[in-house]
Amino acid sequence: MKRLATICLVLVLAAVLSLPAAASVPGELLIWTDGERAPVLTEVAKSFVGEYGITVRIQELPFGDIRDNLAIVAPTGEGPDIIIGAHDWLGQLVTDGLIEPIDIEDPSLFLSSGLDAFTWGGQYYGIPYAIESIGLFYNKDLVGEDGVKSFEELIEISEGLQAQGIYGLVLPQPDPYHTFPFFSILGGYVFGMDDQGVLDPLDVGLANEGGVAGFEFFQELMDAGIIARATPYDTMMSLFKEGQAATMMTGPWAFGDVRAAGVNYGFTQIPSYKGQYGKPFLGAQGFMVSSFSENKMLANIFLNEFVATTETMLAIYEGDPRPTAFLPAAEIINEDPDMRGVMEAASTAVPMPAIPAMNSVWTAWSDAIELVINQQSTPKAAIENAVELIVQTIKDSM
Amino acid sequence: MGKLIKIIFLGVLNVVFIWTALFLYSSQAYWVLLLLLLGAALVNFVFISEKAYPYRYLLPATFFMVLLVVYPIVYTVYISLTNYGTGNILSKEQAVAQLQERSILDTEAGNYAYQAYRDGQGQLHFVFTSPGGELFLGYAGGLTPVQEGDPRLVELEGFTELTRADLVRATNEISALSFSLDEGRQLRMRNINSFGVYRQQYEYYPERDELLDLETGTTYRSVQGYFQAPDGTRLTPGFREVIGFQNFRKLFTNPQVTGPFLRVFVWTIQWALLSVGCTFAVGLFLALLLNDPHLRFRRFYRSVLILPYAVPAFISALIWRGLFHTELGVINQILKATIGSGVPWLQDPVWAKVALVILNLWLGFPYMMIVCLGALQSINSEMYEAAVVDGASTWQQFYHITLPLLMVSVAPLLIASFSFNFNNFSVIYLLTRGRPPIVNAQTPAGHTDILISYTYRLAFESGRGVDYGLASAVTLVIFLITGAITFLNFRFTGALEEVRKNV
Repeated sequence: MKRLATICLVLVLAAVLSLPAAASVPGELLIWTDGERAPVLTEVAKSFVGEYGITVRIQELPFGDIRDNLAIVAPTGEGPDIIIGAHDWLGQLVTDGLIEPIDIEDPSLFLSSGLDAFTWGGQYYGIPYAIESIGLFYNKDLVGEDGVKSFEELIEISEGLQAQGIYGLVLPQPDPYHTFPFFSILGGYVFGMDDQGVLDPLDVGLANEGGVAGFEFFQELMDAGIIARATPYDTMMSLFKEGQAATMMTGPWAFGDVRAAGVNYGFTQIPSYKGQYGKPFLGAQGFMVSSFSENKMLANIFLNEFVATTETMLAIYEGDPRPTAFLPAAEIINEDPDMRGVMEAASTAVPMPAIPAMNSVWTAWSDAIELVINQQSTPKAAIENAVELIVQTIKDSM
Repeated sequence: MGKLIKIIFLGVLNVVFIWTALFLYSSQAYWVLLLLLLGAALVNFVFISEKAYPYRYLLPATFFMVLLVVYPIVYTVYISLTNYGTGNILSKEQAVAQLQERSILDTEAGNYAYQAYRDGQGQLHFVFTSPGGELFLGYAGGLTPVQEGDPRLVELEGFTELTRADLVRATNEISALSFSLDEGRQLRMRNINSFGVYRQQYEYYPERDELLDLETGTTYRSVQGYFQAPDGTRLTPGFREVIGFQNFRKLFTNPQVTGPFLRVFVWTIQWALLSVGCTFAVGLFLALLLNDPHLRFRRFYRSVLILPYAVPAFISALIWRGLFHTELGVINQILKATIGSGVPWLQDPVWAKVALVILNLWLGFPYMMIVCLGALQSINSEMYEAAVVDGASTWQQFYHITLPLLMVSVAPLLIASFSFNFNNFSVIYLLTRGRPPIVNAQTPAGHTDILISYTYRLAFESGRGVDYGLASAVTLVIFLITGAITFLNFRFTGALEEVRKNV
């Protein structure tokens, strides 16, 4: 019994001496980033330490986990000072009270649509490093060097190709994200803006006149056999890679696959119809500052002085080639024709709505598209019903 | 030796306890600390006292059951009574603190340039230059207007002026300072180069639980997790609050939920029954074949037939999704080549259900086969010999000997499989996502949605974002339904009683 007591006592002393330091540290920055950005930020952190002697710690998380983990960890005071994330998290993070406005020293250095994506209630909540939007891949061997500029042109070309069993256009289905340009091309929108420039969750404009007309046009193209019916992403990709589709509507993430398949391709913006360009969704990724940071001012200094620089932005691009939202770096990057294509495509894009109500839009919208693809409903009836359902769901949760 | 191991083990456990206790004490979690100390005392008593010997084995089991089963259930019940979800993540104190900290930058007042000095005691002194060129001396929260050449300015030259790098290192210290400019307006750090003029936006009155907007004079009352103005406008962020049974009320009164409930519920039962029935029938059939000693290459067949079980279900489901594709899938291409027309697998409500059952059959039959093979081994072969002597046919042998004896050990597994498939979210989600959609649907349910996949949509695709409170309420309701069905199953089949008799 005596020996037992001795052992316990010794171990207790050892435990007391090895108490950990407090978890959240003022005067030291902690950044949550995904794996692609981690090596670049580690380098940037080194130069920050070199300049000011302030430690910057980098913690790596899967991109998609950052938002959910912030909501759990930040309120306990153990969270990061800076996170990277997508602009469409903004609505949720701001209404949760988890992120803080950022003081951007020189907004004119950024692509304005990239900044718009990170703007909420007239304030900037993020420093964008990358933007993306879908556009049109075209097979130069099938449609010529210059690609396709309008749907009218596409219809004409397709008539010749159909005889050889080649589709004019493929896109992932049923997928609202990729189908949105058809809704927007004649004036449909997801959420309208109120007079203060804030999105109104009860003003859903997918079934307005333009939205219905665009959706009907989508159906016509499919019924005419120009768009391949009901192709999931993989099927779409293999049709384009094997030369069985002249054009493909998707985003910059497909470059790798298309290049590897050896297709002689080009990338440009979504074609026009009746003289108007289809507006795809713009997505942006950027740096945000946590509301629970003990070092908000320091985080702002780090972002403005060390991240919003041509050097860092180019390094981020090298690590994961996506078009940048930082204009001085864009000039260099846009020598690559693919990136120029994406910038072109993004020029007509509108930021994907970042309000939390967007959560209840996807399924009903996707169902409407599926019903039309399956020829079980007319575009007008399907999308009108979907909008009714969306508005009802949003009203119920208010 | 054994005693030494015991002592070391207990010592290590106590280290963990004390380490955790100190941590809990420093983070002021006193209730958890109390529980921990009670637990630690119990553990020590059980290990030291000889009388408590059997509890040395029971205690860890109980501990893990509480941790992994009881605690999650209790926590789910708690969350179901709150409004936890998008917009209501923070505690009330945190939300109030954030709103009170919120201030409005007076852009017309412009930026104040500044120099900072540190005196011998380490105190900070500031010289501010207003946009109009007036000078202010800032020290310890107070501002004094000064003229060029003032002796107090000269005195500063004796102190150390902070360089830009010094300022960066001192940002936390400087940004915490605020200098009162006049009634309600403060000078605070705006960025590294300048200070700005700020006005506080909200003031909180704890005794009335109200928030006053100092700009407009609007009073916000605390209502259901938000500060709400008389006209209904809410301030964000909201906070987490217990709201009673509202989530359950929402669940039972919302026509979007109650409308399709019966249809979804019926399909859920059908789905679970079909899944269990088909996999069991095929598994048993194959087990009987493999159990036949006349069959050659039994081992080979057995290994091949177990393969679907060895491939992760997520991968199989996605492969089957491709196989079922109406235009390009292999299944329809074969059908078209042989009988001339394909089947709209994932577009037609009935065929989509058939596709799901086929997929689950593929995923589930090897399990049933293995279980049945094992159970068949345990049936005494003398019974069959006796049956043959009595002149029983093969069918009679199967029906009167094999099946009843098999059921003794397999029935509880069938019930477990039923409950599992009742909540088999992943197969539904991976193959059909609950679709095809219903034409002119008034609710977001699809033709193949089961309870769990449908309620997932309700909770995570709600108009406010994510609704953990509602999700927890839904989970509890499904828990009760599954629990009730399982209970009835056990009672009806008497499965557990049979097992007990055999033990």
